[in-house]
Amino acid sequence: MDKSNPKELWEHILTQVELSISPANFNTWFRNSFIVKIDDGVVYVGVPSQFFKDWFLKKFNTLLLKIVRDVSYEFRNIEYLIVKDEHRKVPKENKTVRGALELPLEEFYINKSDNLNPRYTFETFVIGSFNNLAYAAAQAALSRPGITYNPLFIYGDTGRGKTHLIQAIGNQFKKQYQGRKVFYLTSEKFAVDYTDSVQAGTANRFKDKYRQYDLLIMDDVQFLSKKDKTQEELFHLFNALYDTNKQIIFSSDRSPASIPDIAERLKGRLASGMAVDISEPDPESRMAIVQKKAALHGIILSDEVIEYVATTLSGSIRELEGMVNSIVCHAQVKGSAPDIAEVRQSLRSFTRPQKNISVKNVVDKVAEFYGIDEESIYEKTRRREVVRPRQIIMYLLREDFNISYPTIGSKLGGRDHTTVIHSCEKIKREVVVDSELSKEIQNIRTLLV
Amino acid sequence: MNISIEKKEFSEAVHIVSRFADRKSATLPALSSVLLIAGDEGIKLRATNLETGIDLKLTGKITTDGVVAIPATILQQIASAFTQDGNITLEHTGDTLMLTSGTGKSSIKTVPYDDFPSIPFPENPKNRIILPGILLKNLFTTITSCASTSTVRPELSSIYLSIEGGILTAVATDSFRLAEKKVPLSNKGTQGKFLIPAKNALDIAQALPDDEIIMSFDEHQCAFVSEKGMVVSRLTNAIYPDYRQIIPKESIVEAVILRKDFETALKRTTIFSDAFQKIRISFDAKKNLFSFFARNVDIGESVETLPARISGSELELSFNHRYLAAVLSLTNAESLSLTASGIGRPLIIKGVGDTSLLYLVSPMNQ
Repeated sequence: MDKSNPKELWEHILTQVELSISPANFNTWFRNSFIVKIDDGVVYVGVPSQFFKDWFLKKFNTLLLKIVRDVSYEFRNIEYLIVKDEHRKVPKENKTVRGALELPLEEFYINKSDNLNPRYTFETFVIGSFNNLAYAAAQAALSRPGITYNPLFIYGDTGRGKTHLIQAIGNQFKKQYQGRKVFYLTSEKFAVDYTDSVQAGTANRFKDKYRQYDLLIMDDVQFLSKKDKTQEELFHLFNALYDTNKQIIFSSDRSPASIPDIAERLKGRLASGMAVDISEPDPESRMAIVQKKAALHGIILSDEVIEYVATTLSGSIRELEGMVNSIVCHAQVKGSAPDIAEVRQSLRSFTRPQKNISVKNVVDKVAEFYGIDEESIYEKTRRREVVRPRQIIMYLLREDFNISYPTIGSKLGGRDHTTVIHSCEKIKREVVVDSELSKEIQNIRTLLV
Repeated sequence: MNISIEKKEFSEAVHIVSRFADRKSATLPALSSVLLIAGDEGIKLRATNLETGIDLKLTGKITTDGVVAIPATILQQIASAFTQDGNITLEHTGDTLMLTSGTGKSSIKTVPYDDFPSIPFPENPKNRIILPGILLKNLFTTITSCASTSTVRPELSSIYLSIEGGILTAVATDSFRLAEKKVPLSNKGTQGKFLIPAKNALDIAQALPDDEIIMSFDEHQCAFVSEKGMVVSRLTNAIYPDYRQIIPKESIVEAVILRKDFETALKRTTIFSDAFQKIRISFDAKKNLFSFFARNVDIGESVETLPARISGSELELSFNHRYLAAVLSLTNAESLSLTASGIGRPLIIKGVGDTSLLYLVSPMNQ
């Protein structure tokens, strides 16, 4: 049993308690209770009401304390908390349609929150050379919101961590400046909100709603293209916030200048503060990301595995995260951190469909990619433009299709297997440092699939 | 234990207390029982279902002290079947309770009382107000019907009570209509707000005496203490939606109608409402007429036109007739004022001269 896992500990307690009290008592008092958290040796038990709290203290405290002490001496005490109603199990219920419009209570309910996902913080954000400019800009904007970089415009391809960064700014802002209002939304939500308000004839309320924030974060502004009225509304909102020195943060998948079909005056304003891009993560950063993501799941991967995952697989950070998840899942099933062979195996099925492919096919595709004559691959020529593709072919045959070194050698014009090994190692090393090369290999791979 | 109580008092007390016992077949027998205590503090009846709890004092003669738990339903049936006046004596021996009243003698099997939970009292006694019990009783019984009966959103199946500046505001809504009632308080110092589950509020209202009571509350619990005893309830631990935002601030038409006219016309029109219980109201400002209209394809249709004082523009809105009728139990005013602010927007109903009530109904799709 994992004694720091509240769920497991509670289940252990329940099995013990069940033996020592009557079933009726057990069902009445323990069914709706659970461990909320374990903090510094104190076990916090969540109960539905004061009745339960009093009764637990009076009747079950010594029993529970004895049980948890038996598990570990780390547990000093048990405290009882009355949990919020939302946390309690509510029986499923079918809502009856009554034909009447509901009072819009729901909407205001959501308004209370800032829409931020607390999961996105700077603590979980990996900083590397690809995003440190964006990070620095974010920190600068946080230290003097509304003054240093206003607006802050962050752009980069999908899955580079834009949303993570801008939500982390929001969460940090909330922590740093308590009492000030933050709001996060996607441009799509903004557009929908606007159309709704126009339809309901409450455009003024819409305006007021967005003007009250001290920090407004708008994600994916590129989706505003062609929505002229919404753009106009954003333009006015921007001016209102900007003039009162309220910080505005935008994100987009391209730079302000290259967003198509967006009004010039808005474009100018988007670019007027600081526009900073998040480029492709370099291999070292990717390794750091893999390591951090795995560590979040409580799994320590060996350096070898991390390197393999970060370099072999291309794609966005989001895809990288998916791969780490698959490794974590494998590890949890097996109960230990996977070694390189297992990872290779599990990711092979994850990324590329297993496919039998002829050596000739690979040679064709690579030769075509580099625009050289395929015959030259088989020849003994050592011209530079041929040598590199040939090495890449060997690398691909080895890495992706698991063909033995001697076979690769003989198929490619009777070369020695040590030549093949050398070539594979060489490319492997270079892939790590040469992003250009890794991009090329990635492109070739997509051709092969 | 050996005690003697006057029949009428006993049966009234049992009637109140047994409502607080768990009416479902509870897993724990003690929860569906009433605890009878005879001791230094006199005779007491106690019951709880872990949501609410009651502790009620009785006057009677104690010969010997003791504690006993009896199934609530049995006790209730016995108490409601008493006929003549006089006293009953209760005597506890072993695991039976002997009940003697005039001609009859019955012995009831008791329930072990060790499992009977204690009834918690709010931890912070500073948050307290004194008000007449009758006021709170009326407030709870009238407003509770507007709260949601669904348990999906606990905050909507609760009554929101807020005490501020010497005014107690109670709000209930099921998201189709909303009722807000205000009651002035004698002491102005206390502030606070809490959510009390609506079904608990009904039970509490039924148990409150008409005289002065002390209402105290903390984060999780509220209590109503009177000379007769104490009632407690768990509070809903949720955030109430900011309902003030949905109250329309501007209006386009207002009608003032006699309550009597409104009530009878609505009643007649209701007969013709359809499966959605839909009734259309229209404001005719030029002729100063207010009308109800309902049509049911299976039955027929009906129009009721009432004289009214109308200022503003023409408007037609449809409502669920039950939500319109609900306002009648919320106010005693002679005339009602209906304020509309447009199609698809809620209608405000107030009693003329009754500033305590604000009732908001959401219209149906046209």
